[in-house]
Amino acid sequence: MKGICGKLLEIDLTSGKTKTLPVKKEHYEKYLGGRGLGIRLLYDMLPPKTDPLSPENLLFFLTGPLTGTYVTGSSKFVVVTKSPLTQGWCDSYSSGRISVELKKAGYDGLVIRGKSNQPCYLRMDGKGVEIRDAHFLWGKDSFETERMLREMEKDPNVGVSSIGPAGEKLVKIACINSDLYRQAGRGGVGAVMGSKNLKAIVVKGNKSVETFDRQAIVDLNRKNYQVALKSPVAQARMKFGTPLTLNVTHVGGILPTMNFRFGTWEKALEKIDSVGVYKSLKSHKACLSCFIHCSLVTEVSEGKYKGITLEGPEYETLGMFGSNQLIDCLPVIMQANILCDKLGIDTISAGNIIAFVMECFERELISSSQTEGLEIRFGDADASLAAVERMAMRQGFGDVLAEGVKSVAHYVGNGSERFAMHVKGLEFPAYEPRGAFGSGLSYAVSPRGACHRRAWPPAKEVLGGYPPYTIEGKAAMIKELYDENCVLHSLLVCDMPAKFIPMSLDVYSQYYHGASGESVSKEDFLKIADRIETLIRMFNNREGFTRKDDTLPYRTLNEPLPDGPAKGQSIGEENLNKMIDEYYALRGWDVSGTPTEATLRRHQL
Amino acid sequence: MTIIINVFGTEFSLKQPITLDLESPTLRDVLAALQRHHEGAWRSILKEDLSLQEGCVVLVNGRNIASLEKLETKIRDGDEITFTVLVAGG
Repeated sequence: MKGICGKLLEIDLTSGKTKTLPVKKEHYEKYLGGRGLGIRLLYDMLPPKTDPLSPENLLFFLTGPLTGTYVTGSSKFVVVTKSPLTQGWCDSYSSGRISVELKKAGYDGLVIRGKSNQPCYLRMDGKGVEIRDAHFLWGKDSFETERMLREMEKDPNVGVSSIGPAGEKLVKIACINSDLYRQAGRGGVGAVMGSKNLKAIVVKGNKSVETFDRQAIVDLNRKNYQVALKSPVAQARMKFGTPLTLNVTHVGGILPTMNFRFGTWEKALEKIDSVGVYKSLKSHKACLSCFIHCSLVTEVSEGKYKGITLEGPEYETLGMFGSNQLIDCLPVIMQANILCDKLGIDTISAGNIIAFVMECFERELISSSQTEGLEIRFGDADASLAAVERMAMRQGFGDVLAEGVKSVAHYVGNGSERFAMHVKGLEFPAYEPRGAFGSGLSYAVSPRGACHRRAWPPAKEVLGGYPPYTIEGKAAMIKELYDENCVLHSLLVCDMPAKFIPMSLDVYSQYYHGASGESVSKEDFLKIADRIETLIRMFNNREGFTRKDDTLPYRTLNEPLPDGPAKGQSIGEENLNKMIDEYYALRGWDVSGTPTEATLRRHQL
Repeated sequence: MTIIINVFGTEFSLKQPITLDLESPTLRDVLAALQRHHEGAWRSILKEDLSLQEGCVVLVNGRNIASLEKLETKIRDGDEITFTVLVAGG
């Protein structure tokens, strides 16, 4: 089988020993790579009930069978671990040169266990890996860390992933940064890295990735590039990037506003939407190995934040720091974005937590005497930015915020959990489910908590022909979307070319053949995805999750949305339960969410 | 009657008011009137025969017309019609 290395590098930071971990061919056939390989290995290797921040937790950096090839959108990697935020399965995705360099170094990924007795970083090349002292990096933000490591390497093409101070301080929404502006953001993977005293990973490969039919991949790229040139969808994406999504979610009434109280915000228009971001545009940029240059490089040209430049902000950040906090000043959102990136926290979770505290202040459920004087109110940009810093550094009240919104609600009490917008402890991303009921199901059954990457229901319920405020057909719709994305995330390619060019799973079947030499049809891919999702379910069940965890906040279930096209809608517990029943049945899980014996046999689990 | 038009594509326009001399029109009537009498960014999405460019949809008050009455959807004074490419993700 081509396109893979057939092995991982295992590093024990406690003993300092490393070894090669061969991966069975059968695992690639049954799980592909990325998410799929991640769950197989985590399920097999992690002892049940492991404390996520203990040395025993495992931290995987995994690539996929298309990584390091010419397949467009293939410079992705996934960090797999047990989440300190949810205590369950965590797969957190990022772009970054490190993905390609890992393959070029001869490995499909890394598995890191143990804990170094002092700050360290890993330096890996084609000859091996060294565990190096990182005292000189400890405390530095992730931008500075990356710059220093690149300077030492004297090679701009090394792969570097690092954590900021938040990861060092075990902030439970800490992310892992790569190539400055790319984050494995969700679920607190940066805290797991920090718990191991691991500041950074530097990888430089010296081999090429062997593929079955390189020319076939190049030909497919040429063909799909021509399709993209004629596709208004791809062209709009390349011009406006993800901020265009904000205009659609506002029109569709699913733009989170004031901590998911409302679904539209007129003041966002022309300020923090695609128009606003486009005015700050300096250039477009593509990830390595991609011809869809959908990243926008922007710069603040005047005012207090003049000179700030970044790749972004992306839609999620605009939603969670913008409408959700009633902040309509783009430079402030850009500053929040850059602060989160440098200090190393997830912008989605951070924005969600701050909006929650804003509502707590508004309802007088909390006072500044409980927050060391920090009064955080809707629309207060300075307070929002101060909260980011304190959260990331665990300063004062930031120590409470650093535990995630579920924990903050427990701290505040007084019924505030009714509007703490999370599932399983992972904060909602920037889509209001009351305006698209499938989103509610998608959040509820997601094994990593409220997740926008397992499925993107607005494509069907706002932009597609599915009636948004009904439950009929939604379980099948979500399963289909989940399985398609599971294939992409196991092949480990970006969602975007698939959605925007667009490229179907049949196209990826051709790419996969070009890379590996294996013939796997779309139908076979979907069967593999069903197996992967079932094994992830088994992992979470083993960790103690039950059907009761597949739920939504009180607000989503019971409070009618007061504005927009979905005015008057709430999902309701009965509706959610019906959708969950159907979803479990489609997966072959019983009513408690446990895969049946027949399902296990079908998946050869 | 006045309708509000948004266009989200490579051409972009927001909240453009258009006055139409129509009574109780369907979306089909409105699109035909737009094509005949008005210039706007929607021309990058709406074809001559009132079909749409591939990968594009029309929303009426935030709802895809496929989940309403399609081209027979009734349009009222003040309604917001959005021509958009399919976006996904953020």
